[in-house]
Amino acid sequence: MEPDRATGLAELAAAITRARVRGLDDVFLERRIEAAWRLDGGRVVAREVSLSEGAAVRRDGVLVSGDGLDRPVLAGLLGIADRSLPAFSPPRFAPPPSLEETLDVLPADWSGVRWRWSWAAVLAGGTAVAVARPQLAEVTSADGQRALFSWPPDRGLRFGGSEDAARASLQGGRIRALLSPAAATVLLHELFGHPLEGDILLRRGSPWCGRFGERIVPIPLSVRDDPTRGDLPGGFSADDEGVAGAARPLLVDGVLAGALADRRTALGLGVAPGNARRASVHEPPRPRISNLVATAREPLAQPPREDASVEVVALVSGTLEPASRRVLLRVRRAFSLRRGARRQMLAPFTLAGTVDALTGGLLAAAEPAASSAEPGWCAKDGEVVATGGAAPWLLLEGLEVR
Amino acid sequence: MRSPGDLLTAALHSAAEELTGKRLRFEVFARHGESVSVTLGVEGDAERRSSRQFGVGCRVSGRGSAGFGAASGSGARAGREAARIAGAAMMPAADPLPPHSLLGTTGTALRHDLPEVATLEELVGATASLVSGGRTGLTLVQARALAGVSWSALATGEGFHARATAGGAVLELLVAPPEGPWRHFHFAASALADLDPAAIAERVRETALLATRGAAPERRLADVVIAPAVAAPIVEALARFMTAPNEAARGLRVSRGWRLTDDRLGPDGLLPLQWDGEGLPARRIELVGDGRVGERLATWEQSGRLGDRPGGAIRHSYRHPPAAGPANLVVRHDHPLSQPDLVARVEDGYYVAAPAGAIRVAPAEGRFELHAAAVALRSGKPVAAHPLVELRGSFRRLLAGVLAAGDDRESFALSCAVTTPSLLVRRLEIA
Repeated sequence: MEPDRATGLAELAAAITRARVRGLDDVFLERRIEAAWRLDGGRVVAREVSLSEGAAVRRDGVLVSGDGLDRPVLAGLLGIADRSLPAFSPPRFAPPPSLEETLDVLPADWSGVRWRWSWAAVLAGGTAVAVARPQLAEVTSADGQRALFSWPPDRGLRFGGSEDAARASLQGGRIRALLSPAAATVLLHELFGHPLEGDILLRRGSPWCGRFGERIVPIPLSVRDDPTRGDLPGGFSADDEGVAGAARPLLVDGVLAGALADRRTALGLGVAPGNARRASVHEPPRPRISNLVATAREPLAQPPREDASVEVVALVSGTLEPASRRVLLRVRRAFSLRRGARRQMLAPFTLAGTVDALTGGLLAAAEPAASSAEPGWCAKDGEVVATGGAAPWLLLEGLEVR
Repeated sequence: MRSPGDLLTAALHSAAEELTGKRLRFEVFARHGESVSVTLGVEGDAERRSSRQFGVGCRVSGRGSAGFGAASGSGARAGREAARIAGAAMMPAADPLPPHSLLGTTGTALRHDLPEVATLEELVGATASLVSGGRTGLTLVQARALAGVSWSALATGEGFHARATAGGAVLELLVAPPEGPWRHFHFAASALADLDPAAIAERVRETALLATRGAAPERRLADVVIAPAVAAPIVEALARFMTAPNEAARGLRVSRGWRLTDDRLGPDGLLPLQWDGEGLPARRIELVGDGRVGERLATWEQSGRLGDRPGGAIRHSYRHPPAAGPANLVVRHDHPLSQPDLVARVEDGYYVAAPAGAIRVAPAEGRFELHAAAVALRSGKPVAAHPLVELRGSFRRLLAGVLAAGDDRESFALSCAVTTPSLLVRRLEIA
């Protein structure tokens, strides 16, 4: 995440201030370039490149957005004459990398790789803040599974599948499960990410409304949202309202401690802003997760396989269903355990549990903690942003197999 | 400000200029979209948006290579950029562009007008007060209205040129009943004026209060009447399953009497088109009918490889090359029944009234599941309410299990347009 050194931004911000646009909150500028490679049997069969640029203006309570960064486009969005604005040169689109040079071998179970570079800036109150973000790498499997990384993609990523025929089915009922860091990251994203987003809290759609300061997890687990982790996909130097990126504690030693807020929801919640993200230039900034990083005080030295009946290695997806206050984890790869050892690979299944049962059922955290390609792209009301995470192994009960 | 038509023309010309003389076959697709939306929150806070999007996608082919590039921005510059990067992205590949002789258009572009933000505000305000008014105890958590119009143009280096317009409006409501889970409602129409606040509010009140308390039912296989709002995402998922380039859906048994078509010609459905994503004339594509699985949606390139008929391409946006996929799905039945007659046919089963969350699909296994509100039926009469049930099934069972359909067709703007009546389906899993 190198800081942007484009010239002309400060002059543009000053000119917009001089133009005295009525009711102006901010101006958001963005450029993106994406390259996509389609793969077949470990070789590239097609390549696509897409450039996009646009601007959004919030004025008089309306978000007005348009494609293009030309002076007429900006002036049109601001409702002022073209000549009021100076010439502005956004940074050049970064050239796409060579996939073949980045990865000497392309795994046969990869069906596609996508690279994204973006640059953004927020102009408000006469100042300009450039937003730096990590370059992204998305890898897709033949059956549509996706993994998201900061560029370059993990050359060791394998989606599996050849051993599927030998999988055993898991009986329904309650289990005690050991979640790998990748699976734990998804669970924590659903438990402490979305429900602590300011807009969900303000419309009282979160199970954590009115529970700040309460111990909700019985072990000394801490979770923070950390956009300063530029090695993870959700990183940023400043959020999409121009507030400098900073780690935000959400859970401290099991006690509910903080919320994610943009400028609007920060006012309503009485917390600091700094978590505003836009899915695109045409979407408004909303409080969103960046990278959810979990740590535990005095974790176990090794994953406690002897205390669990199932080890969950990887998930297809996690969902918090507001209607039922249940978290659903669709498991892609898991093993049954006996006497602390893996016994059988299991066929895909779904784990479900209420928010209260899952938080109360967290029994232990264990090393080694790790970052992973989960949860990746995160959708909320149809708006998709890149997120990342890191977590220790988690032992929990209260999960029901479906 | 230049008109959408001028912007499209400028983009097509600049892209063609960039590519002419390079001995390449090429196709330029440009789209200009405008949309407005208003979201009203629980505390009366409103979010208003107005958006203009413009971009160009370019496919090029020649000398055993092919490439795709796209760019957004102002008309002519976006066209030049898209053409330039498409050329730079070329690599050895078969020619994906359909022959000129297959291209054409059917029908006439309809006129669509973009409403003012104030008109959307009126609709949202009127619907909100009707839903929350009276003594129903319903609270409106969020209401969102969106209207959009798009203008598209496609041109090839061999002289084909076509234009199209599309438009529509959506109203979404999130409602909290006095007890039980919140309910989400989705209404879509070709024009904002077709969304009637009084009719919508009545529907919302009826459905939101239908199943507010009650336990989950025992897990079992049962006959279910699926309301249009629940059937629509299932139908869309079924169409995508049947579009996948595998043989899983070929030869499956289908119950007689019902048809699923990608009705690109219209007039039914929300999004009739004049041409598909590659410029082939729009036509009605029967995916299911006469007791069998019908055509598979395919692009020109797939048709050569898989033996399907082309014409099933769509453009998700200018940013992506055309792909096979449903555009305007319509479900019909040879003998539609009134809703009371449909429900009366259920001896021991459920009426699944409203979705409660997004559908989840396992494409490899050909299975779907979603949460919904339901009412248990015995001899066609309601006997118990279930605020939250899980409806599960396989596409195989669904294809063979549609016993009847209602005469209550509704349209929905999902990732494609879906128009479906209530469906009576035999033996789906409910829990």
